[in-house]
Amino acid sequence: MEEKGDKNESFEAKDFGWLVAMSILFFALVVVGFWFEFSTDWGSYQQEFPQLLGHYGKVEDARDFRAGIKQIWIPKIGVTDRCITCHLGYEWSSVLPATIAEPLKPHPMNDWLVKHEFARFGCTPCHGGDGSATTLAGSHQGGRGWEDPMLSRALAGQNGLTMNEMIQMRCNFCHRHDVATPGMEEINLAKQLVIKKKCLICHVVEGRGGVTGPELTYEADRNPELLSFAHVHGERTMFNWNVQHLTQASVVSPNTQMPDFNMKPEESRALTLLLLSWRRLPYPPEYIPDPQVAAAAMQPSPTSTATPTPIAR
Amino acid sequence: MDFDRRRILKFIGKGSVLAAFLGQIGAAGRAFFPNVLYEPPSRFKLKRPGDYPDGYTLDEAHRLYVIRQKDAFHVISAICTHLGCNVQWKDTEFDCPCHGSRFHPDGTVISGPAPRALDWFATTVSPDGFLQVDSAQEVARDFRLLVGAKGKA
Amino acid sequence: MGDKIKGLWRKTSWAWSPDSERESSEAIVKNFWLHWFPAKVARASMDWNYSFWLGTASAALLLILTVTGVMLMFFYVPSTERAYGSIKDLQYAVSFGRLLRNQHRWAAEGMVAIVYIHMARVFFTGAYRGTRAVNWVVGVVLFLSTLLLSFTGYLLPWDQLAFWAITVGTSIAKQAPVVGPTIQFILLGGHEIGQQTLLRFYVLHVFFLPVFALVLFAYHMWRIRKDGGLAAIERVRNERTMAPKATPKTKSYSLFGITPGTSVQVMSSTGLEQSDQVFSSPNMSRRIALVFLIVFNITLLAALLFNAPLEGLANPSVTPNPAKAPWYFVWLQELVASTTVRMGGFTVSGALLGGILLPGFLLAVLTLWPWIDRSPLRTEGRWLAPERRRQNATFAVATLLVIVLIMVGVYLRGPYWRIYWPGQPRPEMPRFY
Repeated sequence: MEEKGDKNESFEAKDFGWLVAMSILFFALVVVGFWFEFSTDWGSYQQEFPQLLGHYGKVEDARDFRAGIKQIWIPKIGVTDRCITCHLGYEWSSVLPATIAEPLKPHPMNDWLVKHEFARFGCTPCHGGDGSATTLAGSHQGGRGWEDPMLSRALAGQNGLTMNEMIQMRCNFCHRHDVATPGMEEINLAKQLVIKKKCLICHVVEGRGGVTGPELTYEADRNPELLSFAHVHGERTMFNWNVQHLTQASVVSPNTQMPDFNMKPEESRALTLLLLSWRRLPYPPEYIPDPQVAAAAMQPSPTSTATPTPIAR
Repeated sequence: MDFDRRRILKFIGKGSVLAAFLGQIGAAGRAFFPNVLYEPPSRFKLKRPGDYPDGYTLDEAHRLYVIRQKDAFHVISAICTHLGCNVQWKDTEFDCPCHGSRFHPDGTVISGPAPRALDWFATTVSPDGFLQVDSAQEVARDFRLLVGAKGKA
Repeated sequence: MGDKIKGLWRKTSWAWSPDSERESSEAIVKNFWLHWFPAKVARASMDWNYSFWLGTASAALLLILTVTGVMLMFFYVPSTERAYGSIKDLQYAVSFGRLLRNQHRWAAEGMVAIVYIHMARVFFTGAYRGTRAVNWVVGVVLFLSTLLLSFTGYLLPWDQLAFWAITVGTSIAKQAPVVGPTIQFILLGGHEIGQQTLLRFYVLHVFFLPVFALVLFAYHMWRIRKDGGLAAIERVRNERTMAPKATPKTKSYSLFGITPGTSVQVMSSTGLEQSDQVFSSPNMSRRIALVFLIVFNITLLAALLFNAPLEGLANPSVTPNPAKAPWYFVWLQELVASTTVRMGGFTVSGALLGGILLPGFLLAVLTLWPWIDRSPLRTEGRWLAPERRRQNATFAVATLLVIVLIMVGVYLRGPYWRIYWPGQPRPEMPRFY
């Protein structure tokens, strides 16, 4: 090596230190890359879960448990839900108690879950969020520009609602054509209000109604920026706009022809939930329930002022 | 820099690059093993036991027959062991429309080109009360899943 | 046995660590990968402070992008229904998918910047004179290819960011006189951005433009050899030919025998001396390996630290507010937004003025500069030559203006394209709930 003369050696000398340093850095970065890859949000839960199962006597299932990303894939409705990668206890309500902390907590078994099996619906049609994500933030809030965050107490509280009311809004994505549905009290009330307040005199909904006001068939898909928030107080949300607009339309839209209904808060809230449930969704016909079936399941409510009649949907 | 230190550093440097490069190859290779499959899983849920009538019920989507005799359940694959067509239950036997294979009610071959009996799949009840089939696990023809009033007996 | 392995190893790797000058010379003849190097390169070319090895860095980035790009091709689906989901899968469900995508994104953005800075370096050192003018033009075309590669790739995630950035970009293209609408029509495969656009951009991005760039890159390297090497050697050449050499003693033959003294000889060097050069193998190959390592480490670090952006699914009915072109085009968007001229009844669209004419003019001047340049040839291969002061300053100021416009477009423009200074609260955009 010395034969080449000191002109080569000087380059070798200059570069040597850098080459060694960059090589070590390269190695370190690859190690960090591997570490990132294996330090997932869901890894620790998947270690805990089989232990939990064993603790409650399900030794065989604990032994059969395989770690990895788990998903419910339903191409018919475009659902790829990886929530169950963390929410491992979802189908174990018969064994695991409800007192277990999230995310291993079992999904509470209730009347509507029985009819809305995981294999047919997944998670996100009812709960929102980004099912394709496998991180906490990615799946619950979604990334920037994700407009369908997971329903949560915080989100409901921000809008002055309960979780139950927010979920009813999503139920109505499919149950839109129901006359009335058991378990959806606020939406049922709203559907009756639509008849009582005679909304269809001025608005078209699903092909029927008047043209004085805008069509409302897919009101939930409307771009919020097209609304004027100049006279809306509070957060600039579609929700607030609609609640206040329904209560006193002339305040929110000064030159409107819509009368001031001066509705009670629960009425304007219910109607807003209904309006914001009117989305264009790609669900195939077998997912849309027969309108009369739910009506038949309804117990006549003592407070209803009229028997459910087929509403202009 | 004296010679020995240089050699050590050279060795560390080359070793680091080699290890890092192998790590990258490993990572790339790992990426080709899918973590999620866009296909029906081998283990899947059907309807609840109570939703099935007595006798032979075809599940077209999953290509199998659910057979119920009061509280006893078992599942036979509808995929003909000859060349994979769906066999048809004809009250007393399975007939395959493609090449004429015929099978007894328990899936064993009566006649035709089929080389072996129809598969019986392992069947359990899922934790939330649905019939669950594992098409990757076969069971013998004396397998019966007994379902009590509250699920698996 | 150990000796046999060592022998085998030596047989395959001798060219990379030659043990003698002879081996160094033979390396570039007998080794496939080294055959595009000359046997020796000028020391001046090896200098970090001359070229900063920016060209090598650009090539390193191209290699990284090609490798990561091919990996990505196994997972990405160029369909409007599936593209977004396939990117989400890369982020969340493919092992190392997030890092793969991140590295590709940051290498791409880095390459646009590095290629430009490389071009600036070539300009400032006047390294486009004489026969190098051809390589300059090739370089400009390579720069445009880099921009187009980045632009076509930008659409592929099919999110709001992608969709509307390409809407803005192709709308500017439409403003080109006469051919504009046709260009937009074939770029988009129609009048709207849809499946046909995505497929065209995909094929351009993964095949056509990379092949084009690779062929041009090969020619770019060929031209360097034909031009004798980097322009830095011109400075050395000038110095050598200007300096008189000491006359060595020689002998001459006279009628009656040998007489001492001097004979006819050259008084100065005609070019580079042996002492000005070093062997390519291992010096240049080692340096190139080092530059590749540094660039790779930087992109890997960026990939570990920062996620490539991904917004909501592309929605043709909802325009994000504001909608911005990718950063390397946002200066064009700034020009377009501010150069609409209304005179009496006539309106000259900003898209034409600021989007086509002005950049077109700049591009033409840039490309033809080697033939417009009037500074003396002795300035080539040097930094900050005083005779080049005016043109260097002009280039620098133009670059600075573009950078300022980019900063304004990226950081200061908010909803409705209004300016919001840092610290100034931005209006809360209405949301669903």
